[in-house]
Amino acid sequence: MMRLAAVALVGILVAFPLAVLPAAPVTWLAAAALVIGSAGALILAVPLVTAAASLALVAYALALAIVRPAPDPVGAITLGAALVLLLALVHFAGRVDGAALGPSVIAVQVRQWLLVVAIGVLAAAALAGAGTALAVTLEGVTLPLVVVAATLGAVLTMAGVIALVTSSRAGR
Amino acid sequence: MSWRPTAFNLSFLTVVGWTLFLGVLTGRAELVLVAVPLVVAVVAGRRAAAPPTVRLSHEVSADRVVEDEPVSVTVTLRADATALVELLEPLPPGVQLERGRNHAFFALAAGEEVRWQFALRCAGRQRVRFGGPHVRLWGSLGLAVAETRYRAPHAVAVYPHLASLRHLPRPLRTQTYVGNYVSSAQGEGIEPGDIRPFVPGDHVRHVNWRATLRLGTLHVTQHARERNADVVLMLDTLSDVGPAGGTVVDAAARGAIALAAAYLARKDRVGLIEYGGHLRSVKPGSGRAQFQRLADTLLDASVVFTYVSRDVDLIPPRILPPQALVVALSPLLDARFVRAATDLAARGFDLVVIAVSPVGSARAAVRRSRVTDLAARLWALERRAVHDDLRRRGLTIVEWNGVDSLDTALAGLRRPRLRRVLAG
Repeated sequence: MMRLAAVALVGILVAFPLAVLPAAPVTWLAAAALVIGSAGALILAVPLVTAAASLALVAYALALAIVRPAPDPVGAITLGAALVLLLALVHFAGRVDGAALGPSVIAVQVRQWLLVVAIGVLAAAALAGAGTALAVTLEGVTLPLVVVAATLGAVLTMAGVIALVTSSRAGR
Repeated sequence: MSWRPTAFNLSFLTVVGWTLFLGVLTGRAELVLVAVPLVVAVVAGRRAAAPPTVRLSHEVSADRVVEDEPVSVTVTLRADATALVELLEPLPPGVQLERGRNHAFFALAAGEEVRWQFALRCAGRQRVRFGGPHVRLWGSLGLAVAETRYRAPHAVAVYPHLASLRHLPRPLRTQTYVGNYVSSAQGEGIEPGDIRPFVPGDHVRHVNWRATLRLGTLHVTQHARERNADVVLMLDTLSDVGPAGGTVVDAAARGAIALAAAYLARKDRVGLIEYGGHLRSVKPGSGRAQFQRLADTLLDASVVFTYVSRDVDLIPPRILPPQALVVALSPLLDARFVRAATDLAARGFDLVVIAVSPVGSARAAVRRSRVTDLAARLWALERRAVHDDLRRRGLTIVEWNGVDSLDTALAGLRRPRLRRVLAG
């Protein structure tokens, strides 16, 4: 059952680049991703599924680079969510393969995955919204100003990460 | 116990790296958005708090079983907080799953108690040691793990099947203690013997009134004495052939435990000598405690390689009484054991050798082919010639293939009177 769900997720994954450009170079990459991903899902091998996900991403990027469509944040967020679910599902299925499962293990796992994916989707949506708002705000602003704002943002992010790491080490 | 990141993080980071690299390369914001749920998952999978405490109790249903009898293992676990717990009980060699799984996952709520049970089947004579389960706590996405080993040592003694024997080699000499062998000597007992005229000193209760009335004078019934015997089982552990659990020593131990039970049931005193790299022995005795002693010693009987040749002279008389019936169980592969058996017989011991055939065990350990079939037949012929030679030298040899009933093999035993054996 979990293998079938994983194969279905691989199918969804490779459908994204094909939806953008169902043409030769993308098709070949998507087909390779489908074969490798399905094999990984069937034998529950996380490295194979990771390779398939990487191939699908390359195909998606290639399709976007060739077609240059209008930005599609919903599709991109869905693809990210599918990737999270696929990797988590294959890893979990590999762990529990051949083991006895308690009554609520799968339900608890699915709940945890959906919670993480929901947070991820919300974060991505917030980022997309913020990006759109920033694009509107900064329309007509000169490049040096954008660079300064980006540098400030990067410095603040780094400071936040360092503070987080330092506090977690002190907590231990 | 503390959280540590798993190798699964690498998969997420690889995909995140690809999305960001391709996003920068193509200048498309969608690829950056693809990375966001993955980054959130990696951050959510990171565990800062200490892992929850899991309490376990580990129980094994029995500490003594007969081979192929199932043993139940019960693990009860309780966590003080919500946890996804993985348990793995490693199976010792020679142990198979009978029911359930030895690997399980449980999602525990705070304070919830879960019982996990599975049954194992222990094949062959052995002492199985359980170490306790491995415990692993998983983070929500499998990105963090905390693991430990719950130490719960349990030992289970797996005894061989006890086959019933009716045709036991009868001892040529008996002891003075009461037993099941009817002696030719007259005395106290329940088996009626001769009738003779009454003499002063005879008990009135021994008067045979029927004979007295018929013959006109007082006559008494004499009784045959009932004796027991000392039986010493001698197990050859100098050499072994066959796959694990089905070796010649396993078969010999199975035969020895059946013989011990049968002789003890006849009120005989039974002892044991393990003749091998370690010379271990059990002094002859009787009763249930003696049977347990013998069974425990046979359980640990194994081959310990040595070049040293043990002299049977070194075995003290309290272990090997001079009047004892010695039943040797051996594949007769090691010349040292053949020499020891011949020496015993030459010194006047009442000796029966049960020659456990190694041919079947050796064939079970190799792939069947025409060459192995031919080799097995040649080996069997060679062994028969060796046995005939030993019989000519005065040894009593019973051939047993180790698989069929030992009782059937012993039924054909014809024992000569004690005779002189040519040592050598």
